[in-house]
Amino acid sequence: MKWPVSIPIKQAALILISGVLVLVSLIGGFALHEMRNVSRNLMQSNQTAARTEMVAAVERLSNQIKNQAGTLAHWDETRQQLVAPEYYTYWRDQRVYEGGMLSRFARVALYDQTGTMLGSSTAKDGLPAKLPAHVPPHLPSSWLSNEAGIITLYYGFPIYSDERRLALLGHGLIRLNYMAELLNQNSLRFTDTTSVKLDLKPGDILPASDLLSNLRLSARPDPEQLRFQAILSRALLALLVLLAATALLAFVAHNRLLVRPLRQLSQDIDAMKQGRFDSDLAQAEPMRVSELENIRRSLFDYQVQLRELHGSMEHQNREFRSQARQDVLTGCYNRRAYEEDWTRFREEIKAVPQGVAFLLFDCDRFKSINDTYGHAKGDRVLTLIADALVMALRANDRLYRLGGDEFAAILLRTTPAQARQIAQRCQSLLEAKKFSDLGINEPISISIGIAFCAADQLEHIDELPKQADIAMYTAKQPGRNRVALYGDDVERASQTLVASRETSAVFQALATPGMIEMHYQSIHSLPGLEVKYYEALARIRHHNDLIMPDAFLPVVSSRRLETGFDLAVLQQVDLDLSSKQLPPGVGVSINLTAQSVSQPEIVSYLLELSRHNTRHPLMIEIAETSLITQVAEARTYLDLLRTAQYRIAMDDFGTGHSPLRYLADLPVDVVKFDISLVRKLEENNRAAQVVMDFARMMTSAGYSLTAEGVETEAALRKVESMGFAHVQGFLLNRPLPLAQLVANLDARKTDGPLPA
Amino acid sequence: MRIKLFCLLILLFPAAIQAGVIDLEMRPGIRTSAEYLVGDRSKPAVLLLHGFLQTREFHTVATLGNSLHGAGYTVLMPTLSLNIPNRTQSLACEAIHRHSMDEDIAEITRWVSWLKSRGHQRIVLVGHSFGSLQLLAYLNAQPDAAVEAYIGTSLIETRIAPMSRPALIAQLNDRVQRKQHDLVTQTVSLCRKYTAPPEDLLSYVVWDQARTLNAVKDSPVRMLLIMGDADKMLGRNWIKALQHIQAPMVIVQGANHFMDAEHEFDLLEHTLDFLQKVPASP
Repeated sequence: MKWPVSIPIKQAALILISGVLVLVSLIGGFALHEMRNVSRNLMQSNQTAARTEMVAAVERLSNQIKNQAGTLAHWDETRQQLVAPEYYTYWRDQRVYEGGMLSRFARVALYDQTGTMLGSSTAKDGLPAKLPAHVPPHLPSSWLSNEAGIITLYYGFPIYSDERRLALLGHGLIRLNYMAELLNQNSLRFTDTTSVKLDLKPGDILPASDLLSNLRLSARPDPEQLRFQAILSRALLALLVLLAATALLAFVAHNRLLVRPLRQLSQDIDAMKQGRFDSDLAQAEPMRVSELENIRRSLFDYQVQLRELHGSMEHQNREFRSQARQDVLTGCYNRRAYEEDWTRFREEIKAVPQGVAFLLFDCDRFKSINDTYGHAKGDRVLTLIADALVMALRANDRLYRLGGDEFAAILLRTTPAQARQIAQRCQSLLEAKKFSDLGINEPISISIGIAFCAADQLEHIDELPKQADIAMYTAKQPGRNRVALYGDDVERASQTLVASRETSAVFQALATPGMIEMHYQSIHSLPGLEVKYYEALARIRHHNDLIMPDAFLPVVSSRRLETGFDLAVLQQVDLDLSSKQLPPGVGVSINLTAQSVSQPEIVSYLLELSRHNTRHPLMIEIAETSLITQVAEARTYLDLLRTAQYRIAMDDFGTGHSPLRYLADLPVDVVKFDISLVRKLEENNRAAQVVMDFARMMTSAGYSLTAEGVETEAALRKVESMGFAHVQGFLLNRPLPLAQLVANLDARKTDGPLPA
Repeated sequence: MRIKLFCLLILLFPAAIQAGVIDLEMRPGIRTSAEYLVGDRSKPAVLLLHGFLQTREFHTVATLGNSLHGAGYTVLMPTLSLNIPNRTQSLACEAIHRHSMDEDIAEITRWVSWLKSRGHQRIVLVGHSFGSLQLLAYLNAQPDAAVEAYIGTSLIETRIAPMSRPALIAQLNDRVQRKQHDLVTQTVSLCRKYTAPPEDLLSYVVWDQARTLNAVKDSPVRMLLIMGDADKMLGRNWIKALQHIQAPMVIVQGANHFMDAEHEFDLLEHTLDFLQKVPASP
């Protein structure tokens, strides 16, 4: 399941706050836009209203003037002037206003029938002395003119002698400052009076009927609307500022109250995850958010527990590590420690070049001592040897028990002479040991091989173990003082154990997957000879040559490569089983040394290999001869492997020194009688009888017996009669590569059984 | 009696038998009109004249005229032109008064002549307020023989202020003589600001109380004054002065200058009473 990508809380907060701000800005922008729309509409409405009220004002003024003209026309005193104009000036300048006939902003003049003004025109009047010709005689007319920037309205009207209009007495002409009168009306609420303009050039005349079409005006800005707009804009701005400030404060508060504490908690958790407990949560400042504070306290408690547990585990790890690197018998470092230290050392020395000596110790004739005095005394001898070597080595030098009776030491910052001296000291201290207290009368001695690498020759550092091995064997040769320095004491040419074809093949096989080739020999059940197992036998394919075990096993043994080789064998067996070429239900038996069974990585691989058990029952064969020193470790791991459905077989039974002891100590299911014992069965002598009785006893004890190396029918019949459960040998089948075995099986299915 | 008069009034308009507006040109360019209501020709025709600066449409005069017509009398209700062509509106006090008593008398004369031209040989002059004075002035001048009687309702003298009449007269005379024709504004009768040329104003101002009383006393025809004792427009003691000269007079109790409200009936009643006492034509 793929978890979604997580983002920092600060980023999340930023995103959230940004989102809120963006959203609010959008809403604010929308509100502003709408407000502007409304304002625009209101302005348009105002403009329309201004236009409407202006139209009404124009109409009102027109009606007012028309009414005034009508009133004047019908006024008795007007007719009086046209008949008796002696006091016309008084009438014009005073009487018309006193009588309420004319507004103070207007002037009137009377014209007789000839169109001549009664009285004389004055500058104040601005009225023409003669009635304009365009004034119709019997109809009122109105026009505007631009007189030096002042829009003036003229209204001419006929005056009759009576209501029946029997006789035209003359005309009246009203003149007024039109704009002043128009804009002076209190009813103009929407119109901006300063904007009212008439499109009339100076000197031009415009009929009053065309007034509206030439009138330009703008609406008065609504102060309430403007104020509302300003208030709303300020409110929106204030809201935005407030929100921004709030968002900022929220971000800061969020940062301080949540982000920082969470980040600190996260860092503390990461530190604990990485095993670092340097941050002290107890000293941390309490968090202001109670939930976070609870988390911090819980984390602190957990940290304390974890620290204690870590310390305990560290201690236990050190203990385990120490135990894993310690040889149980002698107390010195074991082979595992040797391999780890040697690997690390080879890397570290490149940084600090120095002279290095590799010492290899081997107990002379240890096998015979072990066989003669028993394993217990043999172990005690090894212990005393280890003690002597440890005392002889320098304080910082380590002694490794590589296995059996072989020890090694790596001396740093040394010279060949110093190494030889130390080796001599080892010999001396060993000689001082009183092995006679153990009841051992033979002299116990060790052979020491020394290999030295100078600081300027570190490119050859990897050859030290082999060189020390050669030197050690050289030291064993008669005439040597059991200390040999490679180079000085060993002829470089006589490298009997180095650069052989088998040695090369073994090392190549370990490095090259596929060079180890497994051949499978069938193990048949008795009676019936049904194939129950195939024993997997290792070969090395080297340059088209097949190298047999008797050629490469000594190399494996002498180079202490058992574990690596067995691991390579297991990997190849795993590949073969995974290919599912073998028929299901048929088991596979794998040969391993006791050393390998004691190695965690081998056991771990075997446990993984056990997944094939459902298809192919698995069996582990351990040679009796390899069980000299690892009985206890072998037992532990064999018990574990049995729980994984492995069957345990003791291979080459009868070739070792204490077969019954191994059967008593180890969880063995199957005992494979060695070919040497099987051949004895064919003889008719006491040895054969012993073997038969032994076989019967083991069968009675519940062991399943397998006879190896059956090459004759007589042997086959014999083992069958003795109750052997399985049989194996060239009589039945030779070991074959997997591909050939599968081909044979396929052919058998179609053509019948193939010859062995 | 009142009920009858009331019914008469009600029937007045729908029952208008003959009515017409008569136009006459009094002077060149000055035409005026009168409402002519034809009644019983056996009865004297009544020339009913309105008050100062008013028209025949004034309610006291219109009502009385129509009522008299309703009573069977021929009524002529002229509107003095006051030198305004086709005057139809009451002239404001502040107007330029280009008219004089003489011109008023001349117009009355024309209307009397017109009545006579219509066959009315018996004419009774009835005036209201200043119209009563104007008719009196006509009678004081050279009345037509057809005029048989005169009723002056709410006869008023030409009151002036603040200047004393002799001083004003002297001043006006002086201006006239010096041909100074600038308009003069003076309080005259009911007008606080009466504006007129000096000669025209003088024609009215000379009709002081004495002259008016003399005109009453010297009326060549039978006359009756119908006055209201609640007439506040009259000068102080004016009724007393009239009583002093024993002018034939009826005082309507509670009536004001305009004889309105219920005093319309009183006015009509007294007018009809007087008219009925005018001897019939032979």
